[in-house]
Formats: sequence, C-alpha cells, structure tokens
Amino acid sequence: MTDVLYLAWRYVLFHRYKTSILVLSITLIAYLPIGLEVLVSQSAEELTARAASTPLLIGARGSALELVLNSLYFESASPTPMRYEQVERVAESGQASPIPLHARFRARGVPIVGTTLDYFDFRRLRVDSGRQMAVLGECVLGARAADELGAGPGGSVVSSPENVFDLAGVYPLKMRVAGVLAPTGGPDDGAVFVDLKTAWVIEGLGHGHQNLASPAASAAVLERDGNRIVANASVVEYTEIDASNLESFHFHGDRAGYPVTAVIAVPHDDKAAVILQGRYQSNDEPCQSVRPRRVMDDLLSTIFRVRGYVVAAVVLVGLSTLATAALVFLLSLRLRQREIRTIVKIGGSRRRVAAVLASEVVIVLLFSLALAGGLTLLTGWLGSAAMRAFIVSS
Amino acid sequence: MIAVTDLEFRYGEEFRLNIPELSVDRGSRVAFIGPSGSGKTTLLHLLAGIVTPTAGRIAINGSEISRLDDVRRRDLRIRRIGLVFQEFELLEYLPVLDNILLPYRVHPALRLDEAVRERAVGLARDVGIGDKLRRTPERLSQGERQRVAVCRALLPEPAILLADEPTGNLDPANAAQVLDILFDYSQTRDATLVTVTHDHDLLGRFERIVDFKDFHES
Amino acid sequence: MRSHLPGALLIVGAIMTACSPEPATPKASGEDDGKLSVYVVNYPLLYFAERIGGDAVGVEFPLPADIDPAFWEPSPESIVPFQQADVILLNGAGYARWVEKVSLPETKLVDTSKSFATRFLQVEDAVKHSHGPQGEHSHAGTAFTTWLDPTLALEQAGAVRTALVNLRPQHEAAFAKGFTALERDLLDLDKRLQATVARDPKKPLVGSHPVYQYLARRYGLNLRSVHWEPDSAPDEKMWKELQKLLESHPAKWMLWEGPPLGETIDKLERLGVRSTVFAPCGNVPEKGDFLSVLRNNARNLEAVFAEEGSY
Repeated sequence: MTDVLYLAWRYVLFHRYKTSILVLSITLIAYLPIGLEVLVSQSAEELTARAASTPLLIGARGSALELVLNSLYFESASPTPMRYEQVERVAESGQASPIPLHARFRARGVPIVGTTLDYFDFRRLRVDSGRQMAVLGECVLGARAADELGAGPGGSVVSSPENVFDLAGVYPLKMRVAGVLAPTGGPDDGAVFVDLKTAWVIEGLGHGHQNLASPAASAAVLERDGNRIVANASVVEYTEIDASNLESFHFHGDRAGYPVTAVIAVPHDDKAAVILQGRYQSNDEPCQSVRPRRVMDDLLSTIFRVRGYVVAAVVLVGLSTLATAALVFLLSLRLRQREIRTIVKIGGSRRRVAAVLASEVVIVLLFSLALAGGLTLLTGWLGSAAMRAFIVSS
Repeated sequence: MIAVTDLEFRYGEEFRLNIPELSVDRGSRVAFIGPSGSGKTTLLHLLAGIVTPTAGRIAINGSEISRLDDVRRRDLRIRRIGLVFQEFELLEYLPVLDNILLPYRVHPALRLDEAVRERAVGLARDVGIGDKLRRTPERLSQGERQRVAVCRALLPEPAILLADEPTGNLDPANAAQVLDILFDYSQTRDATLVTVTHDHDLLGRFERIVDFKDFHES
Repeated sequence: MRSHLPGALLIVGAIMTACSPEPATPKASGEDDGKLSVYVVNYPLLYFAERIGGDAVGVEFPLPADIDPAFWEPSPESIVPFQQADVILLNGAGYARWVEKVSLPETKLVDTSKSFATRFLQVEDAVKHSHGPQGEHSHAGTAFTTWLDPTLALEQAGAVRTALVNLRPQHEAAFAKGFTALERDLLDLDKRLQATVARDPKKPLVGSHPVYQYLARRYGLNLRSVHWEPDSAPDEKMWKELQKLLESHPAKWMLWEGPPLGETIDKLERLGVRSTVFAPCGNVPEKGDFLSVLRNNARNLEAVFAEEGSY
C-alpha cells in the first residue's frame, strides 16, 4: 500500500502544475455550493435566532417588517411612536411583561436605544467593564459601539440632532458612559443603551432648570404671582446631566402620552401570547402585535428561493468542471501508456499498476476535499462574523 | 536452461515467427542478430513471458511457461528475469534510487526493506552513479540512464538477463561499460544472458550467436 | 445537515456551535430558597418588611442615617446594589423623587401605596423653600408621609406582605403570622390616637413642617403647617408668617419632627406656643424602632390633648 501511494505521490509531485490546477478546480466546485449553503444558512440562523428569541412585538400600525427591523436591529429611521400607556396596557393585561423600546436617536450614526433594565436580562447582556447605568443621563455601550465611538467607562457620548435645522426640538445630550457590555455578536453590540427616561430627555420632554425659585434665577423670572413663576427662555436648558443638576431634572406633562417606538411583550406562556395578540386584532386598534419570527421567515423565504437558483447554477457549472477533470485524468492515462508498458514489461502486477493510476486520482480528490473542507470551516468561522457585520451595517 | 520447441508466433496477417528448436544453456551468453523485423525482440518478449506463442513450447529450467496465465508469468518475470531495453524505459518522475527500486514496488512478491535499499545503493555505486541517487532521469546522460536501468534489472538478482539492444543508444565507451556490467553479472552469478544487438563490434564477446534470418518468414 | 462532505462539515457544525458566544446567564440575586434581598426607600418600609418577613428576608436601607430619605440624592454607585435586589419597596405618592431619576428593574418595583392612590392628599402652599441639612428642597405636589396614618401604614404593610408572598410562597404562613402581629400593633396605635384626639377634636395645632397631612386627615386634626426645621433658627420672615397664622389659628402647641433648638422653644413660648415632638420616623431612629417612636409620639400627643384648651 505504501509503495503504491509513494509512486502516486511522486507522480503528483512531479507534475505539480497540472496537479494544482486539478486540485483547485475540484476544490472550487466542491466548496462553492457548500460554502454558499453554510453562509446563507448561518445568516438565516442568526436572523431567525434574534427574531425567535423575541416572542411578541407591539408597535404602531404600519409595516411589520419595519417594526421588526427597528426593534431587533435598530435599523430604519424615525419609526412611528406609540404612547407610553400602551406599555402599561401590556403590564395590566396580566398576560405578559412589557419591555419598552425607544429607538429613534443616534450618536454619530450609532443607534441610541432607550429601554429598561429588564431588557438586559431579557437579551442576556452582561456588563463587561464599568457598571450598569444607574442614574438619568448615563448610558452603557455595546462592544462594537464602544469601539466605533471610541468611548469607555467614564467617557461620554453625545446624541446627534435629528437634522441640521432642528432648533427647537431635539437637542444634543451628553451622556456619561457607565459601562461597556460583553460582545454577543448581535445587533446589541452596536447600540448605545440609555434609560427610557434619558431618551425622553433627548426628546425634550424632560429637562433640568436652574431652580426658578432660587434667588440666582431671579434674573430669568418674568413675573411671580404668589406661587406661580413664569420664566423667560434664557433659563439654561442643560445638555448634560450630572450630580449638580440631576436634582433639578423633571418631566412635564402626563407620562401616559410619552413616546416609545415598540414594546417587547414577554408572554407568561403560549396561551397568554395568543390572548394578548388577540387584543390587537380589531381595526380601530392604533397598535399592532407582530411575531418577529414569522416576519423574518417571510423575508428569508425570498432569500432562500434566490439562493436555490444560485446553488443550482453552481452545481451545473460544477458538473461540467467535473467532466473536464475526468477528461484530464483520462488524457493523463493515455500519456502514461509508455510508463504502464514499462512496468508491465518488467513484471509489475496488474493490481499494482491499476492502483498507482487510481491513486493519482485519489490523491487529487483527497487534496481537493481537504481544501474544500478547510474553506468550509473558514466560512463557518469568518463567514458568520462577516454576515453579521453585513446584516447589521447594511 | 531455456528450451524452445516448435515455436510459432503469429501477429496479424503479416508477421510470422517460426522456431523449430532453440536452446540456451544456463550461464551462457548468447547474442541474437538478424535483420530488422525478424523477430528478435519478439522472441525476447516470448522468453520473458510478456506474450504467449500461438503454438509451441517454451521451457525455462524444465518448467513450461508458455501455458502459464498472465499473473504467474508476471510473477516469474519479476523474480527471475531482468530486462534491459534500448530506450532505457525509466520513470521520469522518480529519482534514480526509486527507479532502481521499482521492481520492489510494483509486485507483492518482492518486498522492499532496508537490506534491499542497501543493495540498490551498492549497485549504483558499483556502476558509478552512486552520487546521483537523488536526480531524476532528465538530468542524466544516456550512459548514466542505461546504467540505472541495468541496476534496476539486476536488483532482484535474476537468473536470466534479457537485453534488447542495450547499447543501441550509447556511444562506444558507454556501450562497452554497460556490456561489461552485464557480462560481469552473468559470469559472477552464473546467470544466462541473452542480448539482441546490431553492434558487430561487440559480437566477439559472446559465446554463441544466433542469426534470425532463418527463423523469420514474411 | 448537508451530506456532501461528512467529515469536514460535521467538524464545521461542531466548531460553529462551540464558537458562537455563549449568552451569559443573568446574575441571580438569590436562589428560590435563599434569603430574599429586599431594598426599601424609607425606614417604615424596612420595619414592615422585617416584621413580616422575619428570617426569610434580608432588608437593606443603604442611606445615611441623618438625612430625610425623601430627598436623598443618590450617587450612581449607591444605585448599583438596588439593581441587584429581589424586590424594591417604594413608598409611592411621589415620596422618593430620586426613583424617577435612576434605572431600576421595573419588574422588581413594588408601589406600597398604590391601593390608596386615589386618596392621596396634595400639599398646600406649594412653593416653600427651606435650608435643611440637605440644602433646599420643596414639598410641592403630593403629600407623601402616608405611614403616619396607621390605617394607611397597614395598607402599605399589606402590599409588602403580598410582594413577599409572591416571591416566597412557601413562607406564606410565616408572613401571615408576622403581618397579623404588626396589624394588631398598628390598630392599637390607631385606637389610642383616636381616643386621644376625641378629647378635643377641634384643638388648633401647628405643624413645624408640612408632614402631618395624613395624620391630620385620619384624626380630623385642626392642624396648619409652616415650613421650619428643628435644628435651624427660623428667620424674621418665618416668625412673621407664624404670627400671622396664629391670628386666625390660635394654636397653643407646635408639633416638631425632632427636638427643636432651645431658643426657638423659648421664643415660641413667648408667643404662647409650646413645643412637642411628633417624629415622622422616615429614617432609622437613634433609639428604639418604628413602633416605639410612634408610641412615643402618641404619648406626646396625649400630653397635648390632656391640657384643656381655651381658644
């Protein structure tokens, strides 16, 4: 056996260019459909995993896909907001625990997600350095967001105005970074997380003043009538919340009307999920309930169909390449007739001759399959990361 | 030791070889001569068991080989018969040492071990190519190549050497050297040497000359 | 699974599974059988939780002892232990403003006064300021010293019990026992105070600080408040305010949150007003516990109502 392999190995080595070309072509046709399959399936798994782990999403009526993309991947600009009372409604239903989301603002392109601490338990996010956010005006960064923004615990992140001309509405808030989360490989890595109340401050719904009743602010007071104080616009609206002005921060108006972009509803069980969904079916219901898994499955089925065609095309090309490779082997045999005759003439056994000829094929195939296997493995590792980056960044 | 009786070999419509009787003593050195196409090479192939006769008998040491099946003939050939060809017939992708060791790789009857390897190296040295063991044939001269082929033929220590125009492609100096090696082996080991040759200068060294013009009919 | 390359792809599958980052399990703040970690925003809730929970709970109230918990301004670091609690008991009625400014796990919060939210009282005279040990603060909006009405305190204790039972149903019986004992104490206190006030229901009283709203409502006290601190001397303006008040509300007694300054007592007596302490007990008392403080309060009130009034 070793003798046969040795001779075959020597032959293959001597004709290394021919061998390399053969190995390369067979590797490619073996790897391409499989690599593609691995890549697509992996990304499908990624997308589906995120969607599958989010049982129910409540949002304003409109595109279910946009709701899912905004709430799961923090994509899609300016989603239609809902009133906060919808969050309370979910809690009061007794069917599910609500996790509100406010994903509207960005900090240099990185999405700012306002939510509650329950979100971190739900997504199993762990603080890797620093600590969890504690007071108004603090934030925690996903691992990738921290890199992109160049910020870490103790540093700061500033929210971006929605548009250049936004003079009277949303204004930049400088947020202190309390901590950075451990990487998960998902969209949470690329977000800045703040308390929902902090997001409302960015919205302009809450602010801190100099205390209007204190003597120092009297220059800003227009009139004082008993306990009523009217201030002029020169009262300083802080763009940063810290220990010195935290006390003065407060919210105006009725919280029930404050905006959220979505509510993740975590039902207590399957029956609760169905009951809860049922409540949003009526036509005059301002909100919709969505099962992210279903939405992603629809999206993916389209992708899979396209992938199917591509794979079919690659397989066809592959078959023709295999035919060519077979032809090359056969021609090679022809060229080796002389060699075969020599071995026969000196008395070589039939079996060994056949074995040597076959081993060349086997060696080439083994090399190709090993290479294809290696490439597939690489696709498994790197492809997954690449796909995630692609999905999240596109 | 080699006995041919009523041998007939037909190849297509045209070629016919007829040898009523021919015997070669063991240990003798015989030259086959004759015009081209007279069947010298064919007889060599018949003696080696590479082809079988249409009719007649070939016996080596009393055993008839003409009726053996291909497997047994190959077995016999690789163990007992050493072949040298005019075109050397080396495998161009194997280095010299591996070419010499080839018989031990292409048949299960010959086992390649350390002792064989040492003998091969020794043989190579004896014929003057001991320092070229790693080279592939393309980097050898004609003379060197034939010497590799001869080592290959001698390695299994055959009882019979069949050489088909071994010096046909060599210059006189190399031709003489190769013939020396073959003769030396034959004399030392009492091996039978049958050589097909066109080179009349070398004929003097042989004990017996068989002229094929009588055997062939066209 | 694809079957083209069995070896390589099985390896691919195995390695992919191994390499995908493991989601970290959330830090558990207690097993289902260990001590419940209970965080509270004021001392009365601590007392209730300990009386009801007993050994099954570990109650934490990590505030400095010398401040009014309602106006505590926590540093971010002091919020971290709250985030790990199994349950956080809130007073409700806008008591702890700081809760609005921090991130706490919503699912762990319990509003102990939710059941009587419709019966909250508003603070009159919204804009007051005073310089206490914590600096300026205002009592504008909803009154929050709900526990000074023993019946409301009982409702809050009930909410505490419900929260504890939800988390440790196996201790329901023990919790019930603790609650019942507490209930008895609170109701006894209530009866005592009722009897005291019944002697002279219309007796005018002044509260040194606007913290007696629920107490006043429960017993129908004829009480008006100023905004003084026990350990700082009132200024000229504040004295004038008091005098104006006394013209239409001739109180002979002022209720203080804590022992006032000697000179203030003297000055008050010159105005015909005597001082006594009715401690709201928002934070941990130097001596005794919630019940002993309230009983002491009741004793002080009995002395007030023992006097015959002439007004």
